[in-house]
Amino acid sequence: MLVKVLAKSSFSSFVGALGDYGDLYAPVKTSEKVHSFKEIESLTDIDLSYTRTMIPPKKFFIHPEEVIFEFNIDEELYIEPPGGDERIVLFGVHSCDINALNLLAKVFTEELPDKYYLERKERSFIVGVSCVPDEYCFCHSTGTSYAQEGFELFLHDIGDSYFVRVGSLKGHEFIATHPSLFEAAEQSHYDSFKDAERKMYASFTNELEMAGLQDLLDMAYESEVWTEYGDKCLGCGSCNLVCPRCRCYDVEDHINLDLNTGERVRKWYSCMLSEHGLVAGGHNFRPTARERIRNRFNCKGSLREDMPNCVGCGRCTVFCPAEIDYVEVMKKVRGDLK
Amino acid sequence: MKPRVGIFSLTGCAGDQLQILNMEDELLDLVSHIHIVDFQEGSSYKEEGPVDIAFVEGSVSTETDLKHLKEIRERSKVLIAFGNCAVEGGIQAMRNDEGSIDERLKEVYGVEPGFFDARLSKPLSEYVDVDLDIPGCPVEKEETLRAITSLLHGDTPLRFTYPVCVECKLNEYPCVIIESGKPCLGPVIRAGCDARCPGLGLDCIGCRGPVDSASGFAAEYSMLLEKGYSKEFILNRLRVFSGEVKEDFLGGDQ
Repeated sequence: MLVKVLAKSSFSSFVGALGDYGDLYAPVKTSEKVHSFKEIESLTDIDLSYTRTMIPPKKFFIHPEEVIFEFNIDEELYIEPPGGDERIVLFGVHSCDINALNLLAKVFTEELPDKYYLERKERSFIVGVSCVPDEYCFCHSTGTSYAQEGFELFLHDIGDSYFVRVGSLKGHEFIATHPSLFEAAEQSHYDSFKDAERKMYASFTNELEMAGLQDLLDMAYESEVWTEYGDKCLGCGSCNLVCPRCRCYDVEDHINLDLNTGERVRKWYSCMLSEHGLVAGGHNFRPTARERIRNRFNCKGSLREDMPNCVGCGRCTVFCPAEIDYVEVMKKVRGDLK
Repeated sequence: MKPRVGIFSLTGCAGDQLQILNMEDELLDLVSHIHIVDFQEGSSYKEEGPVDIAFVEGSVSTETDLKHLKEIRERSKVLIAFGNCAVEGGIQAMRNDEGSIDERLKEVYGVEPGFFDARLSKPLSEYVDVDLDIPGCPVEKEETLRAITSLLHGDTPLRFTYPVCVECKLNEYPCVIIESGKPCLGPVIRAGCDARCPGLGLDCIGCRGPVDSASGFAAEYSMLLEKGYSKEFILNRLRVFSGEVKEDFLGGDQ
């Protein structure tokens, strides 16, 4: 992997150069407890000290709600919206979210490729940034505290400068076309990078043992834990909607008043909502909150494409109005907590 | 032949009918597709005979309402409970568990039973089969229009079966419960308003009534108790637009 060093004194030039690639989005504080990836007008809007955004960067690849095609019944037509050519830079993405996007990319671009996802991935430039965990982060447990791929550039804060890992062809091109921004990495920079990583790793206070979790969830099928938290759960769906790896969506057709044209819309959905398990004929596979919460934790604790379905970002705990703690539930499933 | 549509009113403020009149940009298109046989707030014109789609707003609060509702059901193919009063009983149903209607009329007006033509306020579904509900106080114009176009096209209209929280998240609105501990009912109230109030930083007061499975009510109640709100406050808040919130809704431990 190519590594470079970016002096913090070159930061504004660097961000300016990113803006040449496309529209720049970065974390912005939007309320007391919420950060959001927003389009950046001014450098001072960027808050790189954020811990997590409420809505993960998946929103750029699968929009929360979008028209996937329009139809015309008489003419037997369906018209896909133009792909657009706007390119975006996602600046300041954390390792957990990059690892989450890597799974989404597998799901949406490999076996059954989604053209919208593919196009948007093609037109994006992801710049990762190292972070400091808070009391809800447990990405060191889920193996997602380090991003090995899925970014163009990754900036590690090593004091006066950033240690920059280059993760893709687009990243290499950026380095090649902006030689004056970067310096060569030397041994002292490697040492600082290793120190920074070690320090980050040592600062976790939350932890979840992952070994055997999938089997333990199986064994907990009849556990009281699902009743306990099912009773507490509001069934609001927030946990899924803020999850960077949840990818269920709903599809609706809306017909216009001419009774001929209309549109098909897809929007994010949640397995905690009552209709998720409802099938034709009226049967619901998961009619109660107890069954739905059990299903969600089984999904999160299992492997997909050899990756765990949870990246330890802590969002579902932080943004649960009923204050259900994901790690606490899993610890009860494991028997680590009574 | 254009489908025959009736827009009827029982006990309520007529605000849901008004929402139809408020569809100013769509009204002309709409009436080119339907034949309106009854629309008290829009026209004095009335026709007898069968109705393909009946919108009924208001709750059943008098004997006259009940008779009217049964007649509408009799002549209608599809009957839609239109607005919170028709779907849940409305604000006028929030005290239904506090004594009989006769006792209450005696206390408030000092009259004997039978003096007023009044009953406990109930939703339409208490007395007749309802084919579709469009909730809200008042109803949303877009949801109403979508329901009509779906029916005209021969589809089953989509219903919002998930709570307001979903719309807050899709819009990236900060959660007013988490931010400032407000007694927001969003987690248990039917979406469809695009989280209008939380989007303005206000807590949801529940004007669209409960989501289908009211199982979340117990969890909402416990959550708000834990945040320091009193039982009376929470119950009152839930009852304003959610009809009779029976105490057993709220679980055993109160």
